[in-house]
Amino acid sequence: MSMTDKRTWEDLPEVSPMGAPLDWAWLRGAKSEWGVRPKIGPRGLTMLDIAVGPYGDVPDHPRYRSMAPRGADVDPDTPDMGYILNKKSDVWSDNVMELYEEAVARQWSATRDIPWGELPELPSDLEHAICQVCTTLTEVEMIAADLPAKWMWRMNHDFLEAKMFLCTQIMDEARHAEVFRKRALANGGGLLMSRGQGEGLLRTILEAKTYTQATALMHLLGEGFILDIFRMGELIAPSPVEKRMFRMAMQDEARHVAYGTMHIRYAVEKDPDVADEIHEALDHGEVVLTQFGTNQDFGSALAVLLGGGIEHVETKGFPLQLEMQRKQFTSYLARCERAGISRLHRTKLPLELLGIDPNTVLS
Amino acid sequence: MSAANEHSTVSAANERSAIDAVGFFEALAAEMNAHPERYTVLGDADMVAGLLMTRDDGSAFAVEVVFEALGCESVRAIATDELHLVDFYLDGPLAAWHAMFDDIGANGVASGRQTINSLALLGDDIRLRGADPMGVDKFSRFNQTLQEYLDGASRVAPIETGARA
Repeated sequence: MSMTDKRTWEDLPEVSPMGAPLDWAWLRGAKSEWGVRPKIGPRGLTMLDIAVGPYGDVPDHPRYRSMAPRGADVDPDTPDMGYILNKKSDVWSDNVMELYEEAVARQWSATRDIPWGELPELPSDLEHAICQVCTTLTEVEMIAADLPAKWMWRMNHDFLEAKMFLCTQIMDEARHAEVFRKRALANGGGLLMSRGQGEGLLRTILEAKTYTQATALMHLLGEGFILDIFRMGELIAPSPVEKRMFRMAMQDEARHVAYGTMHIRYAVEKDPDVADEIHEALDHGEVVLTQFGTNQDFGSALAVLLGGGIEHVETKGFPLQLEMQRKQFTSYLARCERAGISRLHRTKLPLELLGIDPNTVLS
Repeated sequence: MSAANEHSTVSAANERSAIDAVGFFEALAAEMNAHPERYTVLGDADMVAGLLMTRDDGSAFAVEVVFEALGCESVRAIATDELHLVDFYLDGPLAAWHAMFDDIGANGVASGRQTINSLALLGDDIRLRGADPMGVDKFSRFNQTLQEYLDGASRVAPIETGARA
């Protein structure tokens, strides 16, 4: 009972002074959870803290397809919003609440948190190379914002935490596009070449037939690949400014990979049949990714940075690039195993060319 | 695991700091916890990291560092066969760890290819390992926090470049 001792909700007026009908049923409070207080942890009140009782239960097949908050007393006439992702396994991952809180806690500013004023004057070849790398990264980063945006409005609202996490990913990617564009322009350089291979990869991801295929292509393959590019960027950064830029971006990207890996695992565990569609998507995606990775501009710019300048591109740059690609492919294949999608003997990546033995990847 | 008191020293003339001893990592933790302003901007970090240092004589020192929210929750020496329990661990010869901390001492922060990400990515001396790829990816998810923690070595004690036991 939520009323004072003096009145009960049944005594209240049935119409407003303007003549609109009124319903005071909400004054009865929530069904069984009224009076239950979540325990506030040392870092504040997290989404995990409030996932108590029925509020923490995420149904496998939600009853409604409206924007009603999960756990509310929902009007049976609530409208259908046209959601098509109505199975929990379509979008969920067991780490999604943790990742949402992490994302919110670890937001940063490309304006404030990168010491732009400390950028040193670089040799011309290195400035051109970092500008080319940043041009390509600016081009590809927003796919990881566009893709969740394409699917989120189709996700059942009972999967609120997954949608909230994807919102943080969209913000992260906006910041990545911002920070790489800023770096391309900040030191007197500029935006350089854009080619068709990049667009081919982006179109493949954007046009995936299902969300699970899309997330396999984007989170597991694409973002896993970009995560390793960011790690490499930190290694080859010409100054501490770019080092910090890549480290900050790397942290965000790793969260996205963590969601995608565990989502794929959840989806396959709940519905083993989706493995086939994921494999089919990755068969194509790996080919397109390889074309993107060997792009004549992006690849050569990375090699110049890895070599420390154009004079060392053949002696140091390309050999180190091959070594980095081995690590990229190996970490991707290990993540696929963790996701429950073994690609060791099905992958279209050129393992033989790089001297990778699929039988030893996991060791 | 080797005894923690048989350690190598790197630090300064009048105050030597052993890097292969739990006390060194406790000092880094105290430095982190005393300066939350350095970590607030980075946000909460929850990870269990391991560091494994192998000495020239083949003996090893392993330490577990637990990060929680904006601080370092605990530090303890562990046996090498416990390393599979951490999210990830960084494994290298003591000389490589010396080189990294010497660089931090000399520059205030890790520089060039002596940052922990660069060292682990190259993998020539220090390797990133772990039983679970999701745990290993926490190295990337919280990398700036881990780097700041290690960079604290420049403030806990003066480190003498190239000093060896």
